[in-house]
Amino acid sequence: MGAYLARRLWQIIPTLAGVILLVFILFNWVGGDPALVLAGKVPDPAQIENIRRQLGVDQPWWIQLWIFVQQVFTFDFGRSWSTNQLVSEVLLTRIGPTLTVMVPILLLETLLAVTLALLVAYLRGSLTDRAVMFLTTVAMSISFLVYIIVFQWLLGFKLAWFPVQGWSDDLWTNLTRYAPLPVLLGVLVSVAPSLRLYRSFFLDEIGQDYVRTARAKGLTENRVMLRHVLRNAMIPILTYVGIGLPGLFVGSFLLEIFFSIPGLGREVIESVNRSDFPVIKAITVYLAMLTMLVNLLVDVLYRVADPRVSFK
Amino acid sequence: MTYGGPGRRSRIVVRMGILLLACLSHLAGPPAAAAEPKVLRFAFRSVETGFDPQRVDDVYSSAVCSEIFESLLEFDYFARPVRLVPGVAESVPAPEDGGRAYTFRLKPGIYFADDPAFGGKRRELTAADAAYAIKRLRDPRNRAPYSWLFQNNLPGLDELHDEALKTGKFDYDRSIPGIEVVDRYTLRLRLKDPDYTFLYRFALPQTSPVAREVIAAYGEDTMSHPVGTGAFRLAEWTRRQKIVLVKNPDYRGRVVDTTFADLSLPAHRRVVEELQGKTLPQLDRVEIYPIDQEQPRFLAFMSGAHDLIQELPLSFVAEAVPQGRLAPALEAAGVRLQQVVDASVWYAQFNMDDPVVGGYAAERVALRRALIQAFDRGLAIEVLEKGQALPPYGPIPPGLVGYDPTLVSDQQDYDPARAIALLDLYGWVDADGDGWRDQPGGAPLKIDYMFSVGGLGRQYAALWERSLRRIGVRLEARSVQFSDQLRDRKAGKYMLSAAAWTADWPDGQNFLALLYGPNAPDLNDSRFRLPEYDRLYEQALLLPDSPERDRLYREMTRLMLVYAPWRMLAFRNWTYLSYPWVLGYMKHPMYQTRLLYLDLDPAARRRAQAD
Repeated sequence: MGAYLARRLWQIIPTLAGVILLVFILFNWVGGDPALVLAGKVPDPAQIENIRRQLGVDQPWWIQLWIFVQQVFTFDFGRSWSTNQLVSEVLLTRIGPTLTVMVPILLLETLLAVTLALLVAYLRGSLTDRAVMFLTTVAMSISFLVYIIVFQWLLGFKLAWFPVQGWSDDLWTNLTRYAPLPVLLGVLVSVAPSLRLYRSFFLDEIGQDYVRTARAKGLTENRVMLRHVLRNAMIPILTYVGIGLPGLFVGSFLLEIFFSIPGLGREVIESVNRSDFPVIKAITVYLAMLTMLVNLLVDVLYRVADPRVSFK
Repeated sequence: MTYGGPGRRSRIVVRMGILLLACLSHLAGPPAAAAEPKVLRFAFRSVETGFDPQRVDDVYSSAVCSEIFESLLEFDYFARPVRLVPGVAESVPAPEDGGRAYTFRLKPGIYFADDPAFGGKRRELTAADAAYAIKRLRDPRNRAPYSWLFQNNLPGLDELHDEALKTGKFDYDRSIPGIEVVDRYTLRLRLKDPDYTFLYRFALPQTSPVAREVIAAYGEDTMSHPVGTGAFRLAEWTRRQKIVLVKNPDYRGRVVDTTFADLSLPAHRRVVEELQGKTLPQLDRVEIYPIDQEQPRFLAFMSGAHDLIQELPLSFVAEAVPQGRLAPALEAAGVRLQQVVDASVWYAQFNMDDPVVGGYAAERVALRRALIQAFDRGLAIEVLEKGQALPPYGPIPPGLVGYDPTLVSDQQDYDPARAIALLDLYGWVDADGDGWRDQPGGAPLKIDYMFSVGGLGRQYAALWERSLRRIGVRLEARSVQFSDQLRDRKAGKYMLSAAAWTADWPDGQNFLALLYGPNAPDLNDSRFRLPEYDRLYEQALLLPDSPERDRLYREMTRLMLVYAPWRMLAFRNWTYLSYPWVLGYMKHPMYQTRLLYLDLDPAARRRAQAD
């Protein structure tokens, strides 16, 4: 396993180099000129040149690329171009609110989707199965934005079950007061596609010979479903959940901007609007690194879910 | 043996005293409850960047700076058109040497809010702080977006700036002819050329005096450590999420000045009644939430979580203010409505250097006029702006010095028949029979329209395309990032571009400067160069506010209408709503907020919310 881990970690380096190069090209050749945005209403060429010099965007591209590489490995992206705050400080203050909303969404969504998928897979072809499939199709056909607009108005304003929007400095207040409505919406939206996918995983397993054998042996349906089917379906489920894990750290920008949650998703949008490249670059690169590490972690977890999996 | 004695007598007296006090306190009722703090909550419709007055230029950061810092001059709360009055200066300086010099005398005894940078001592505001702020605007290290305020006007300052560009160090201590700190409270500024609008700069938060030791103490973090002399100080800031201001305990306080209040106006009368005799500021705490989405901002107000809403989102105008009147539910709740025309103009500008749409020859002017008259402005205002805008006839918005309410011109009216006639007359006809008009020489005619993504940009582009198709002119809309739009406008790489300008100061000159030839291409990026216009502009600069200057402004506007470098689209008419417990609230044309003049009745709010 040690050799496997070392090999996988080693493979991260060329991937990361590719990410750095891609991000660099995108921001330096495709992105707009930040100096023009920062120069104000009446920019004169000398001022624009001065800003470019201060930001370092007047340097030859290879020097800018080298600075970028250094920033990635020293974890120091300098200061935000729009607010002059340290990028590290920006990221650290944003990660908490994002996770406060996204972790409950992931946990609840996974729990609900797995449970319901197992149930409807067991009842395949029944009215319940067809009703759930119909509802999930409808749910998936509606834009997330519509959910947010309708439920914020209905549950937040009209019925006043939740605050319309807001955030506090206190984790408990956020979890009990401000996060429930965004979490509810996040779960509502994400549970439908997951449920359909997991159902297909379970149906694949239910059709396998070992299930027929287990039933022939006289095992109870509970034992067949929970001990054998669920366990074998865990590998594709883990893969699916793993793919979504890095998204936890970016959050749902729609939820964040509509509910005034000071998370990373909202930060990304505001930074793009203001050509605040240090912040966007930091978030993009760290997210890529996180994705690679999470993928590795998921691969390791396969073995926990299924001891037959071996690392080669 | 003694019967009693001094000791016993004194004990009796003390006991009787205690008894008496107890009786009196019982008669007086229960102990008075501490006054309920006055906390105002509302939203900004966009995010802020920080609170270093010399380093910001966005509306909302500037608004907060205006509450924390004080400028030398300010705009009167009541006067319309807007009028300069003293801020921390004792008076509005009179122009000297024909508008070439101004002397500010600061009020003594004004102190900065307490800060560790002052080492525990009270720090008085001095003329040196005002001079320091001016120099900071020209220090290249600060990347000050309002650096242009003092560009090419104060002798010696540009040289300091240029040296700093070379050496990397701005010499704040060197005295220059343009800025003279005469004594502790006197600042004299000398200009290269006469300028009667120069004083307006000193009402902007960007020129507010700052303490040098505070700037030195916080280095790169000055955006989050504002220390001013204003009525409020920053208590809490979660970037782009929450801004909390609290009453500055060191603020000297003031009463509302009603000199320019027009008591025949109900709004003025109400504000005067609500603030009369009170020491300002009245608010203890202000919580501001930047919310860029329209629905949550609107619902936060409707649910009572916020006490007022500024710039009501267009998509909720029909719900809250149908037909220009408050919705019955809001009226029943006592909500107050204000509609204020913004000190800005929205327009589409032609590139006057473009070989097709630019130029001053008759057929080029005819083409521009035809395109202007083909664009259905009435529809844009009715549908896109939801009726919340006025059609401009000149570039100067209402409420500003130089605005001419009598100005009406058919040059900017929607008239497609006239547009077609103009094009036919000057040879812009379909030469190759493909259904689209061509240039007089036969080359194809295609208008490139550039707009930035976001807002109403796409809808306006679609309307342009539809309007021009109706007169047989092909238009291709190009959506770009805002920074790319700026770049292409400055570089002259466009034919027709969406544009807007918001007043820096309430004088028409601030708008007319956008077409002054020598300002091209930095400020005048439509590259309009007309010697006659430039001559009038230069004459106007030499005049104080007067009927003669108004005449020159009218003449410049007329030239602009004749040569048609702009299609003027809208003066935005924003709606502001507030609950009845918000007192003293009157939207000022130049200030985003004026928290100093606001008061709040927490008991009324509690009662209303309980109901």
